[in-house]
Amino acid sequence: MNRIYFSYCLLFSSYSPLSFVKGKKKEGTAATFITRTKAVRNLQVTLPHFRKLCILKGVFPREPKKKIHGSEKTYYHVKDINFLMHEPLRGKLWDIKAYKKKIKKARGKKNKDMVERLLDRQPTYKLDRLVLERYPTFVDALRDLDDCLTMVHLFATLPAMESEHIQVDRIHNCRRLSHEWQAYISRTHSLRRTFISVKGIYYQAEVEGQKITWLTPHALQQVVTDDVDFNVMLTFLEFYEVEAIMYQLETLLGFVNFKLYHSINVKYPPILDPRLEALADELYALCRYIATGSRTLSGNSQSGISSESEQTGNKKMNSESEESEVRLAQLQHQLPANERGALMNMMEDVNGADEEDQDTKECKSLFKDFKFFLSREVPRESLLFIIPAFGGLVSWEGDGAPFKETDEDVTHQIVDRPSLGRKFLSREYVQPQWIFDCINARIILPTEQYLLGRVPPPHLSPFVDNEAEGYVPEYAETIKRLQAAARRQVLPFPGLDPMDFSDPGSLLAEGIIDRAEANEAAEQRQKLLKLEQQYHDELKMELQGVTFSAVASKGNSQIPPAEDVEVEEGASMALLDQVAEDELNLSKVSMSRRQRGLMEAIQIGKERKRNKIELLKKRRKNSEANRKG
Amino acid sequence: MAKLKIRDKKVKIAITKDKKKKDKADPEAVPELPAEYSSPTRDEEHSDSRDVSQSSDSELSCEINEVEGNDLHHPAEESDSSEDEVAPRNTIGDVPLEWYKDEEHIGYDIAGRKIKKHARKDKIESFLAGVDDSKNWRKIYDEYNDEEVELTKKEMKLIKRLLQGSTPHTEVDPYAPYVDWFDWEDKGHPLSNAPEPKRRFIPSKWEHKKVVKYIRAIRKGWIKFEKPEEEPRHYLLWGDDSTSAESKRQGLKYIPAPKPKLAGHEESYNPSLEYIPTQEEINSYQLMYEEDRPKFIPKRYESLRNVPAYENALKEGFDRCLDLYLCPRTRKKRINIDPESLKPKLPSRKDLKPYPSKCYLEYLGHSGPVKSVSVEISGQWLASGSTDGTIRLWEVETGRCLKVWEVGQPVNHVAWNPLPQLPILAASAGHDVLLLDTGLGDAEEQHRITELLHVEESASTDDRDLVSWAREEMYGGIRLKHTKAVANVEWHRKGDYFTTVMPKDILRTLPERLDCSRDTKAVLLHQLSKKQTHNPFKKLRGLAVSAVFHPTRSIFFISTKNHIRIYDLLKSKLINKLETGLQEVSSVAVHPGGDNLIVGSKEGKMCWFDMDLSSRPYKILKTHPKDITNVAFHRSYPLFASSSEDCTAYVFHGMVYSDLNQNPLIVPLEILRGHASSKYGGVLDCKFHPRQPWLFTAGADSVIKLYCH
Repeated sequence: MNRIYFSYCLLFSSYSPLSFVKGKKKEGTAATFITRTKAVRNLQVTLPHFRKLCILKGVFPREPKKKIHGSEKTYYHVKDINFLMHEPLRGKLWDIKAYKKKIKKARGKKNKDMVERLLDRQPTYKLDRLVLERYPTFVDALRDLDDCLTMVHLFATLPAMESEHIQVDRIHNCRRLSHEWQAYISRTHSLRRTFISVKGIYYQAEVEGQKITWLTPHALQQVVTDDVDFNVMLTFLEFYEVEAIMYQLETLLGFVNFKLYHSINVKYPPILDPRLEALADELYALCRYIATGSRTLSGNSQSGISSESEQTGNKKMNSESEESEVRLAQLQHQLPANERGALMNMMEDVNGADEEDQDTKECKSLFKDFKFFLSREVPRESLLFIIPAFGGLVSWEGDGAPFKETDEDVTHQIVDRPSLGRKFLSREYVQPQWIFDCINARIILPTEQYLLGRVPPPHLSPFVDNEAEGYVPEYAETIKRLQAAARRQVLPFPGLDPMDFSDPGSLLAEGIIDRAEANEAAEQRQKLLKLEQQYHDELKMELQGVTFSAVASKGNSQIPPAEDVEVEEGASMALLDQVAEDELNLSKVSMSRRQRGLMEAIQIGKERKRNKIELLKKRRKNSEANRKG
Repeated sequence: MAKLKIRDKKVKIAITKDKKKKDKADPEAVPELPAEYSSPTRDEEHSDSRDVSQSSDSELSCEINEVEGNDLHHPAEESDSSEDEVAPRNTIGDVPLEWYKDEEHIGYDIAGRKIKKHARKDKIESFLAGVDDSKNWRKIYDEYNDEEVELTKKEMKLIKRLLQGSTPHTEVDPYAPYVDWFDWEDKGHPLSNAPEPKRRFIPSKWEHKKVVKYIRAIRKGWIKFEKPEEEPRHYLLWGDDSTSAESKRQGLKYIPAPKPKLAGHEESYNPSLEYIPTQEEINSYQLMYEEDRPKFIPKRYESLRNVPAYENALKEGFDRCLDLYLCPRTRKKRINIDPESLKPKLPSRKDLKPYPSKCYLEYLGHSGPVKSVSVEISGQWLASGSTDGTIRLWEVETGRCLKVWEVGQPVNHVAWNPLPQLPILAASAGHDVLLLDTGLGDAEEQHRITELLHVEESASTDDRDLVSWAREEMYGGIRLKHTKAVANVEWHRKGDYFTTVMPKDILRTLPERLDCSRDTKAVLLHQLSKKQTHNPFKKLRGLAVSAVFHPTRSIFFISTKNHIRIYDLLKSKLINKLETGLQEVSSVAVHPGGDNLIVGSKEGKMCWFDMDLSSRPYKILKTHPKDITNVAFHRSYPLFASSSEDCTAYVFHGMVYSDLNQNPLIVPLEILRGHASSKYGGVLDCKFHPRQPWLFTAGADSVIKLYCH
């Protein structure tokens, strides 16, 4: 096969790299960009294969300055196409094509031996080299992980469809990878924000300084539409993470997970407790695995502190081969269930000595003193992921749970039903949204609004910068106040006059008023200053004396008398607006056409934004009126 | 012998069978039958061997056939067990029983007596009898003999075995070991006499071929005996990131795909109430264009358990995939610039003072839109012409109206003679141009003026088709009668010549004048001292809009709709043609230096031409949203202005440097407002004061305003 490939290479090397440029020498855009059709023809592959190559290699169309062959065409850079031309994967695709033909032929001739023999030696390819090529450093890979995670999580919830070539294994693999990822995030406490939207649950984590956001669909039967080409999605998926059964590939997420697990001293791929796996609690099993694995590996250094059981674990781990690890994992799983708080220890132990940034510490200790119990109806997977990520202990209703509902120490029970028959007085019954809001606010919010059977307060997106948007929802203000109150417990600011509007900046620093208000105040001040300035200017001019009769000029002058400033506030504001508009017009006159266009675009954008905010304010007013009336 | 034996056996069986049948058929013949019967059966078997046949009578054989035929009706009686039973009572033989259906009897016994039918038991009786009798289930009704037969236990077993499909008798072994009776030894003759073929002694060609094939396949690696070792699926792909040489991406510069937009408040499952559109708003989305329509309509769920699966999840995932591999990517600079930074760096306006900025004076008196104003060269007097048919003379500083001429026709344009000693006012009113004596100046000057304005009657006869010079009766002066309405009157700097422009009125073009559709008579030159008019152009391209004299040299500018043509008056030829690129030029003004020109257009654009630089505009200023009515240069200050129908006038700083390497500096200074809008337009004319940095504007609201610094 390799020989075939090399012979192709030779064939091409005998031509110039741009074998399609013949005769007339081309220059500029014509030489550097080619249309997709031509590219496909040059590469001697079919369109689906070309697509696959592009997806796997990360080649995308580029925009030439001048579209020579028509504006409706897609253009690729010649260098990109040459890059594909020298890709061994192209040869592999040819091989696979030829191989399929051989099988078909053998089947047609009823040559069973041949078919069997052929089926034994299916050509395979690996994508690890491509991953490294596309993401030379680990940070690069993390930067592009958003789409990958979203896709894997989406496929993890899809049903397997034979008609669309979505095999069960693929779905399982997606599920496994997503759980591995979540276990890592949860273990390292690097989850930062969460948001329940209609589309699913958004999570944002910070890994190695990169903010990674992904979306997991709600854990329900997904709606499968037929306007989707699964081939494309599957190719992406293939690259992203999934080990395609056919080709034994493995890729991005697998490698990322490996690296991450490696960084916390845990063996990858993890070996899970089969009992928990059977109960579909892979995530919990993984958490356990990570906890125990990292503990035992790092246990060598702190063996004095570690308990007896741990030491036996260590010995076993060192002495026995990999095969026995399953048993070991089981053994270790059984250990902490006996003593209360052992799980806690496990979560805490390893990286305690590591330098952790402030944020992680804050996240780690948010639910430190709480013990949660999940009812049946709440989204268990999501909460099992989130709560440990913020340092809480969690259990659920079902087999394999670390503690039962009747546990006395449970502080919060997460419920999502209108009413509950039997209640424990020692714990609070809150809705799941409380957890998410607490995480986003980074404080423990009062639970009264989230209690059983109530309509919870609005759930706000943590990804929106309210000040930059210019509109702050009511509940965001409430949270801000609570945050300020929480912070003041730690750092009180004595001798502060909150009504001092002279310096909005100082107020902002303390977080008492938000930035939007500060901006508004500053703007007001600026306007007043401007008005004053103008007035002074005009007075001065009058004093210098114009050759003209003062009587005539006074009647026509548009300067309001000094006494009327307060009275004619509105009029003067209109005048100011007029002045500002004139200013703008004048500056527009001397701009180049391009700049003027830009300026107008900016203004249109601003106007649109303002309209949006106005609409929101109007609706808020209406809803408030409705509530009162 | 053995064969014979077997055959005998068969015969015996056949005989026993037939005997029984014969018993049924003919009871008398029973004893003698065996010997006779053997022959026909044998005859049947060996039809060719006739030697044994003892001519048997055909009658008998017929009977046998009949018996065999009847066998079909009574298969149950055929069993061997019936052999030793008592002979049946009935002797009718194998006839269909239905023949006796309607008879009293069922047949005859051996003695030939009728056998009477038994009385039929009725069902209940038979049932009751059956209930009592424990052996009832074994009883079978024999139709032939009309009696009930009770089966024995042995018979029952036999039936059972038959039903099971096994042999009727237990003693028969169906799987007895085969005994080969033929003794093969010492027979001496092989089955075939052929010699051993050669192929028995040489290796097989086809096997060899197959082996070669396998060898080849093994050598080529097509067949592998051990499975390849499985490499670890995942390994540490990224080592230390410190090696910078490796950590470079090959190929073209990678443009990372933009990250998907993060969810806002409105995407929440439980957003604030203000994010949820009302039903009317949702309905109004239907009226929008598809692309403007919001993609996502916020919805509110009271609790998390009510949230359904998102129906577009898969679609959005797919769209994202398409975006990732199908969308052309380019790196675009994020336009996050401060709009302030877009404004060009211009000198501060304070440094460019003085310039007109405030309205100080209004000249009130006209009753119609003021079309034109003109300032006397000394700067003391202002003349204005209005559509109310009057020309007014104002004192600039006081705003006093000194004089009013009622011309009766709407005045289009007024222009002072540029000579200070000749205070003559030229005004175009309708088809006429009036040269008016303003009565200013001392007596000597007055005398000169009256002399100049004296017209002899004969002068008018010369050039009747062009212009007729006549005496103005009412106010004293000259009336030049034109063929069409005059739009512009402009004086030459020396005050002797002036030009008039009659824009071609397309509607009034008469058919007979179509030949001069290139209206060569649109622009005319008049000489005041000689009272002469002449037409300087043999041909004139385009529709003339206005005409101006060069301030220092004998050069003449004519603006048509799209171009400005520059003529040398002395050589009377075209020097230059300026391409404005505008749709419709409305006015032209020449810089006092003479090398620069501004052109105002009806689309609100103003062009600055530097004629030393190029015949294309040096700068195009998009100023007014509406038509520009007039543009003007100041005589001494570096100022120029434009007035427009949007009721504003713009004042600019326009510095022209004597250094040819330095381009003119243009700074917008002020927007002058104050005129009210009316149906006739906004500001109709603007003129600078000749000495002061003041601007006069004539408004359609019949007011003239003076803006001072």
